[in-house]
Amino acid sequence: MKRSLITRSAVLAAATLALTGCSTGGSDTTAGASAVCEDSTEPVTLSLAAWGLSTSTDFQTLTDSFHLENPNITVELAEYDATDYDTQLTADLAAGSAPDLYPIKTITTFPTYQEGGQLLDVSEVTDVLGADYPGIEYYTTDGAAYAVPYRQDAWYLYYNKELFDLAGVSYPDGTWTWDEYDDVAVELTENLEAAGQQNVKGTYLHSWATALQSFATAQAGSDEAYFAADWDYMVPFYERAIALQDAGAQENYGVVTTNSLTYQGQFGTQKTAMMPMGSWYIAALLSQRESGDADVFEWGIAPAPQVDDTTLDHPVTQGNPTAIGINAAIDDAKACAAKDFLTYVSSEPAAVELAGIGLRPSYTADVVTDTVFSQEGMPTDPESRVAFSTLEAHPDAPLGSDTPALQNILKDAHSAILSGAVSPEDGIAQAMERARSEGLG
Amino acid sequence: MATLDVTASAPAPVPATVTPKAPRRERAPGSRLRRRNTLIGWTFILPNFIGFATLTLVPVVILLYLGFTSWNAFGAATFTGTDNFERLVRDTTFHTALKNTIYFAVMHIPLTLGASLGLALLLNRKMRGMAFFRTVAFFPYITSIVAIAVVWNMLFSPEAGVINQMLMAIGIDDPPGWTTSTTWAMPAIVIVATWRDMGYYMLLFLAGLQAIPSELYEAARVDGASAVQRFRNVTLPSLRPTTFFVTVMLTIASFKIFDLILVMTNGGPGTSTLVLSQYIYRKGFVENDFGYASAIAVVLFVICLGVTVLQFLANKRRDA
Repeated sequence: MKRSLITRSAVLAAATLALTGCSTGGSDTTAGASAVCEDSTEPVTLSLAAWGLSTSTDFQTLTDSFHLENPNITVELAEYDATDYDTQLTADLAAGSAPDLYPIKTITTFPTYQEGGQLLDVSEVTDVLGADYPGIEYYTTDGAAYAVPYRQDAWYLYYNKELFDLAGVSYPDGTWTWDEYDDVAVELTENLEAAGQQNVKGTYLHSWATALQSFATAQAGSDEAYFAADWDYMVPFYERAIALQDAGAQENYGVVTTNSLTYQGQFGTQKTAMMPMGSWYIAALLSQRESGDADVFEWGIAPAPQVDDTTLDHPVTQGNPTAIGINAAIDDAKACAAKDFLTYVSSEPAAVELAGIGLRPSYTADVVTDTVFSQEGMPTDPESRVAFSTLEAHPDAPLGSDTPALQNILKDAHSAILSGAVSPEDGIAQAMERARSEGLG
Repeated sequence: MATLDVTASAPAPVPATVTPKAPRRERAPGSRLRRRNTLIGWTFILPNFIGFATLTLVPVVILLYLGFTSWNAFGAATFTGTDNFERLVRDTTFHTALKNTIYFAVMHIPLTLGASLGLALLLNRKMRGMAFFRTVAFFPYITSIVAIAVVWNMLFSPEAGVINQMLMAIGIDDPPGWTTSTTWAMPAIVIVATWRDMGYYMLLFLAGLQAIPSELYEAARVDGASAVQRFRNVTLPSLRPTTFFVTVMLTIASFKIFDLILVMTNGGPGTSTLVLSQYIYRKGFVENDFGYASAIAVVLFVICLGVTVLQFLANKRRDA
């Protein structure tokens, strides 16, 4: 508390300056994104906030390939701590020392940066991409876009084909509702136990509140209900999770938290036959197979189960679009180069680069899917390919300035319900009441 | 010091009635020495004081102001009067966090006090290998808090954990759910916090114990006092300054508990282990509501200050 206050207090003046700077930067951006810079050969150096450089290469890949296409523009990475990214970035933005470009790591913090005047209007980049480009709507406020998505994560149902075969259960075929998913999880657990796999569960639900709640909000809720703290729609999702735990078909929440279980360990070392998880796990699974941290087995991805059969054609799932924005305090001289970079990260060449390292880019095309599935260790069945690209992804939670506070309340409800301290109905009712006592909803 | 200052400055306003030069000449060497001593004193304190002022004092003063504002870290804070404090009165999560903090302190303070004193008495003997045992007892205090949390969480695991398996082995069929239970999560944290802290406070008690003159014990023994009587009438009263210091430090530390809970349970299950400093962290750094977070910090500050002042008053009365 104290340390950060110093940072903040010491830079209060600087923050004001940064904000003044942003208003000039923001209004002076009428020229086309690429048109201004394309002819310019003046060397420009931009800085881009990044995290986890030792474990993932996405930022380095993007900046390197961009530099090859635009030799006069160099993008240097400024590394932040992955866990404290938003805290550190907020301090730097307030101090006026933040990088020229920064990714919105957690989409729910976007309103804080945007309403705080920390992002430059990048509509001229997104106008070219068109309104259909995935994820743009979440970064658009009052008709103006403030960040450009380059990654679109999505949650799938990962499954272990060998364990399914062992249990004599047919693979998910893209027609599953949650009820069918529950039945199969129980059947898998029983059959695997009968086949001598005592410690293998049918499915695995990771401890994150979003692993359950974001599905509920995307598939059964609405933005209005979420912000009004009318969360009754989450109750059936919790009842199902508790039933799976009670049936022994899903690892107990208490065991997951006290033993610090990781989803990579659970699926990668075949302790569960299926698992709903985000698309980023593809890259992790592939690299862990190579390093020996994960077993080598046949696997596949299926669409996330749905509430009913009305959405099977275009399955609704959760998944955040990750976008990069431009620091509102950027030098005017650098702004167009920064926009060039954003144009590049949302383009097909960048998407192919990202797909090449196992990530799911926002830009969708067959060539992207081909690149992802051409990697060694990827499933070869056509169903997994369809599941990969056909879907409708909703972010973790509807976006608004109250979202972080509401999410914290829901996180507490999540741990209380899944640990069995309260029933799903009471737990959600208490959370709704709590939101109102905090003046939310 | 006070008297000297007065006499040194007294001559100035009344030059007509007294002869200022004579006493000044007499006192001059003393006051020069004093000034030099003060200066030397300041030089010693200064490096630490600069750090304290910039990293603690100034932020605390700013925090007192921010408690009356609405601020999301960007731009200037808007003064909102007592809005934040009115919100605190209605906020049930704040009430829960306050109750949990007091619950933790009430369990943790006496337990740690007793455990560290017991440990100090046990290790205050002249025996071979005593240094080793003292080091062992101090070890938890210097161990990484994250490592402590991970290992204890595993020990507390309701099904596979060593603790519950031992409890079941001795015939307890329905052992507690520890960190997965809203009832037992706080006691579990208190156990870990006590285990971690007792080595440090033991060291303070050991220092206190070794300062007690052995003549007192010899005299008590000659008078025929039993071990219990010696403890009650010699050890405890002689340890009183140490006990007082330990209690004050322990109280402040208990009200400020943060890191252990953050990594062990993150306030859960539900809000069963959510404490004030963690609520401050959430409101400030997770929700960017720095004004409200500062208001809660002000409340925590007032509580710590109040309890410490009470302890000082109680100690003074006992001294008198």
